[in-house]
Amino acid sequence: MNAAEGVNEARAHTQAGALPVYLDHAATTPVDPRVAARMAEVLNSESEFGNPASSHDYGDIAGALIEAARAQVAAAVGASASEVVFTSGATEANNLAIFGVAEYYRDVGRHLITARTEHKSVLDPCRELERRGWRITYLKPDGGGLLGPDQVAAALAPDTVLVSIMHVNNEIGVIQDIAAIGDICARHGGARLHVDAAQSVGKCAVDFAALGIDLLSLSAHKAYGPKGAGALVVAQRAGAGGARSSARGGTGVHLTPLQFGGGQERGLRAGTLATHQAVGMGTAFALAVRLQESETARIAQLQQRLWQGLSAIGGVLRNGNAQRSVPHLLNVSFEGVEGESLLAALQPHVAVSTGSACTSALAEPSFVLRALGRSERLSESSLRFGLGRSSSERDIDIAIAVLSREVARLRRIAGS
Amino acid sequence: MKYNAETRHYFETTARAGHLSGAKVYRGAAGDREQGSWVQFDLKFASGNLADARFLAFGCPHTIAAAAWVAEQAVGKPVARRLPDSVQAISLKFAVPLEKLGRLLIVEDAWLAAIDAGLKVEQ
Repeated sequence: MNAAEGVNEARAHTQAGALPVYLDHAATTPVDPRVAARMAEVLNSESEFGNPASSHDYGDIAGALIEAARAQVAAAVGASASEVVFTSGATEANNLAIFGVAEYYRDVGRHLITARTEHKSVLDPCRELERRGWRITYLKPDGGGLLGPDQVAAALAPDTVLVSIMHVNNEIGVIQDIAAIGDICARHGGARLHVDAAQSVGKCAVDFAALGIDLLSLSAHKAYGPKGAGALVVAQRAGAGGARSSARGGTGVHLTPLQFGGGQERGLRAGTLATHQAVGMGTAFALAVRLQESETARIAQLQQRLWQGLSAIGGVLRNGNAQRSVPHLLNVSFEGVEGESLLAALQPHVAVSTGSACTSALAEPSFVLRALGRSERLSESSLRFGLGRSSSERDIDIAIAVLSREVARLRRIAGS
Repeated sequence: MKYNAETRHYFETTARAGHLSGAKVYRGAAGDREQGSWVQFDLKFASGNLADARFLAFGCPHTIAAAAWVAEQAVGKPVARRLPDSVQAISLKFAVPLEKLGRLLIVEDAWLAAIDAGLKVEQ
């Protein structure tokens, strides 16, 4: 499809009342029909609605479904089923990991290490801990968004109790060297490693035990599961949580729970479990792992097609290290174009995310791209393309055609 | 962000985007691209009227739409040191959020700068 055909296709697509092409899979993914069907079965069943904590048959049936889902989630990330704690999503998992460790180990140390490019659900709890008197080290990644493991080593102090580093970055898709960081934390002996892997499942391999991770946050809706479902994987293996942790009593990582009232999920997350949500997450994760290889290869080709098309526009800069990233995300900045106008011009045709955090009418430039050293203007004029299972060559061609036309138009209006 | 139909229309059509050249064409600009908003007007004066107007704008859709509307409305009207309508009326027309009212002031500053450039020569 050439550019003119792409624009006509986009116009026909929009005039036909169709929704814009969806290229925002990093924000959320549609629930896979197979997942939705399995969840509906649970919701409609006359025997599967019980409270999983009840001791009668209804409870046992629901409990068995929960445990099967727990095993599926564990298998997807190389963990043991007993290590999986279901939560409402990755934000809750990140909060439980950070505040749970901070509260439990507060007498051991009050230092935490993280990166400037973490998700807000890690950064905001860190800022809250700072407000409570903790010392937080915010590591600055290189221009490609990657941290050097030696940066973590240099930042570790005797009172460091937690290192929180994400696996796949949600804005630029770069993959951090978690294995190396895990080794460094293990050598330190007292610093637990928390990894936000909300963007990882189905995109790249995650091996909880082999990577030496102590706490792992997961999200269902980034992997074609339901919103409102997630998990925190809490290591129980011997040696996890650091040698000094084990010496302090018991194996594995300890957490102080954030909520109370029933003792569910090993006492770490009180509240009746939503069976259909857990089943949805388990089904989605099993599917994601099964499709990972073929989908990643297909999406890599689409990403290549998209990047070639966008770079032909001229004045387009790629954000993030292309060699160390998942193909599902492509983040680019457009020179000479204002970000909000670019997004508005695309809105009728293509659904993508901007590099701006639109928490108010005035957009703020992406703090992730700013941390990489991009200027305020280029950070603000960036777009994140999230490719996924529904993405096709036609979607990519429409996106390229619309962007080529609109970038040229906005540059002309701006006299750029 | 959602935009009203007027904003969408003027943001997408931008019929008077561009430059003017020749005699009795006066230029005014305001804002700064690096700060996120910049607007420029070229106005052609003829016997006390505005014979033509063009604009360039780097900014959000509200900024572009407002500049496009101002350029369209002013043509054929007597030269006057004011916008075709008040900033408040324009903000209502385009449903500009309160936080972005400063962008309309940049449109106004650019417009007045072009008018002033013309009046300085013509009077």
